[in-house]
Amino acid sequence: MNKSASMQIPLSKGGRQPWLPGGCPFIEKTRQIGTETTPSPPSTGESDAFSSAVVSLKRSWGILIKSLSVLQILIALLACQHNKPVLHIYTWADYIKPELTHRFEADHQCWVIIDTFDSNEAMYAKIKAGASGYDLVTPSSYMAKIMYDQGLIQLLDHSLLSNLRHIDPDYLKIAIDPEMRYSVPYMLTNTGLAYLRSKVPDFEPSWRMFDRKDLKGRITMLNDMRETIGAALKSLGYSLNTINDSELEAARDVVIRWKRNLAKFESEQYKTGLASREFLLVHGYSGDILQVQRENSDIQFDVPVEGTSIACDDFVVAKNSKEVTLAHQFINFMQEPEVAAENTNFVAYLCPNKTSYPKISEKIRQNPGVFLRPEIRAKSEVIQDLGANNVKYTRIWDQIKAAN
Amino acid sequence: MKQSRLPLVITLLLLAFFYLPILVLVITSFNASRFGTTWEGWSLHWYRRLLQEREILHALSNSLIIAVSATIVSVILGTTAAFALHRYKTRLQRFHYALIYTPLVVPEILMGISLLLFFVAIGMELGLFTIFLAHVTFCISYVAMVVLGRLQDFDFTIVEAAQDLGAGWWASTWRVLLPLLAPGILAGGLLAFTLSIDDFVITFFVAGPGSTTLPIRIYSMIKHGSPPLINALSTLLLLITFMVVWASQHLTRESS
Repeated sequence: MNKSASMQIPLSKGGRQPWLPGGCPFIEKTRQIGTETTPSPPSTGESDAFSSAVVSLKRSWGILIKSLSVLQILIALLACQHNKPVLHIYTWADYIKPELTHRFEADHQCWVIIDTFDSNEAMYAKIKAGASGYDLVTPSSYMAKIMYDQGLIQLLDHSLLSNLRHIDPDYLKIAIDPEMRYSVPYMLTNTGLAYLRSKVPDFEPSWRMFDRKDLKGRITMLNDMRETIGAALKSLGYSLNTINDSELEAARDVVIRWKRNLAKFESEQYKTGLASREFLLVHGYSGDILQVQRENSDIQFDVPVEGTSIACDDFVVAKNSKEVTLAHQFINFMQEPEVAAENTNFVAYLCPNKTSYPKISEKIRQNPGVFLRPEIRAKSEVIQDLGANNVKYTRIWDQIKAAN
Repeated sequence: MKQSRLPLVITLLLLAFFYLPILVLVITSFNASRFGTTWEGWSLHWYRRLLQEREILHALSNSLIIAVSATIVSVILGTTAAFALHRYKTRLQRFHYALIYTPLVVPEILMGISLLLFFVAIGMELGLFTIFLAHVTFCISYVAMVVLGRLQDFDFTIVEAAQDLGAGWWASTWRVLLPLLAPGILAGGLLAFTLSIDDFVITFFVAGPGSTTLPIRIYSMIKHGSPPLINALSTLLLLITFMVVWASQHLTRESS
C-alpha cells in the first residue's frame, strides 16, 4: 500500500501537487475525478431522446461524483498523510493516552493510526485468517503466547529496546514470556474484592469474605472458571495454575461452599449492581472497579492477602509488519519512565515499568486496584493456558455449577 | 357498543417495550455522570468530548464514505438485477434469483469470514475498499428485493405505450421506467445505507488497518472506553437512522 496515505480510499495514487507543500496524493486524485467527469456540452446527436438521456445521466452522475469528491476532500483534509511512515497499532479502545501518540508522531516524523478490537479472540481470528497491515498489537499474555506459537508475531530486537531495563523484574518472574523474547508487558490488571464501605463493616482483605453469612445473597463472583476456582485455590494456598487433582477437588468444595452464600456468578453486571447497592461485595477486575469508583466514592477495592490473579496485555510486533523499526521505537517510547507514568495515570492500569513507579501520581499509587503491594504481588500469579489440562478445570467447574 | 380498549393498551405496551430502552439511552447520553446508575444533571459534556476524539471522527468519516459509495453502487447493480429477474424468466434467472437471495439468509459471521479468506487468498489489501466490496455484496440483495417488489405491480404497457409514441429504448427507460420505479429504488437505497452504516460483523472481518468504522469503534469502546461517549454517539447514529427511515417511508407513501 502507498505509505503516504494510509487512511485513504483506494483511489489515492499520484504525484505531487505543486500548491501543496507535502504533496497530498489524496486531494490531487479527488480533484482529478471532479474535473474529469464534469459533464461536457452535448454534441449534436443522432437521436434527440438518446442524447438528452445520456446528458441527463451524465449530469446526475457528475453531481454524484462531485458530491463524493467533496466528501473525499473533506476526509483528505482530515486525513492527509503527506509522505511520512505510518505505524498501525491494533489495540483496545482508549488504551494509550492520545497526547503521547501525538508526541511520538512529532518525535519520529510519522503517523500513528490506531484500530481497535474488543476481544482477544476476535483479534486472533482476524489475524490468523491472514489480515495484514498491523504493526503493533496488544494481546493479553496468554494470547501473545498462542500467537507466537502459531508464528503470527516476530521475535523482538532488543538492541532497539533500551528501555527494557526499566521493566519490573518482580513482574517478569511470573510473566509468561519472562525474557521478553516476543512480547513486552504493557499494562497489568488484577482481580480483587470490591465492596461498599458503609454497608460492609470490618472488611478484611481475604478470600474468606465470601463465607460471611451477614452478606448472604448480596455477593457475586466472576462467572469465569479460571478466576473463581483460582480464588479458591489461592485461599487454600495453592497455585492457581495447579493441575493436581486433590488440590482442585479441595478448591471445588470451597467454591461450592461459597456458592451457597452468593447471589450469582456474574462477569459484567456486577459493576452496576455494586453502584446501585444491589450487591455489597463483588469479585471483579480492577479496571472495571476503578471506573465505578470515580462515580461512587463509597466503593472500595482491595486485593486479598492470599494473592490473586494478574493479567497483562503485551506489546507484540506482527509477523508481516512493514514498520518493524518504528514499532520497536514505539514500544521503547512507551517504556520511557516519564511516558509510562503519564500513561498509567491516564489509563489507570499499571505499566510494569519499575523506574516509572515513583513518578506515578500519589492517588494511583495508593490504589490497590492499580498498584499491587509487592508482598501481595509476590503471591499472585498470571493465569496460564494449561493446554490439555484445561479439561480438569472444565470438569470441576461443571460440578460447581451443578451443585446446590 | 363501546369498543374494547385492549388493542390500544397492547399497542402502547408494545411501543413502550420497543422504544423505552432507546429513550433511556438518549436521556443518559445527556447525563453528566459517567455511569447510567446515578443522575447528575443535564450536560452536553459527552457530545463535546465526542467532537474532540480524533479516532471517533475518523471512524465516522470511514463509515460515511463506505455507506455512501456502497449505496450508490448497490442501487445501480441491485436495480438492474431486479429488472433482469422480473423481465426474463429463464432457468439462468432462477439461478440468479437464488444468488441474489442467498446473502439475505447466509449468517453474517459466515459471510464475513469467507470474504476475509477470499480477500487474503487473492492478496487484496484489506481496507476501505474491501469493506466497500463486502457491503455492496449484501446491499445489492436488499435493493434488488425492494425494487423487485415494486416491479411486480408495475404496468409494462406504459413502457410499450411510450415506445409506440416513438420513444427509444433509452428514452423509455430514462423518462418512463426509472421515474416510476424511483420510490422503490430510493427506498432500497436508504435501506442499503442504514444496513451499511451499522454493519458490524462483516465489517469487522474485512476491515484493514486505518479503516475502523463507527460500529467497530463503538463495540471496542464498550469494553474499554467511556460508556457515556457511546451513548452520545449512539444517539447521533439513531438520529441519522431515524431520519433515513422516515425519509424512506415518506417516499414510499408518496408513490402509493
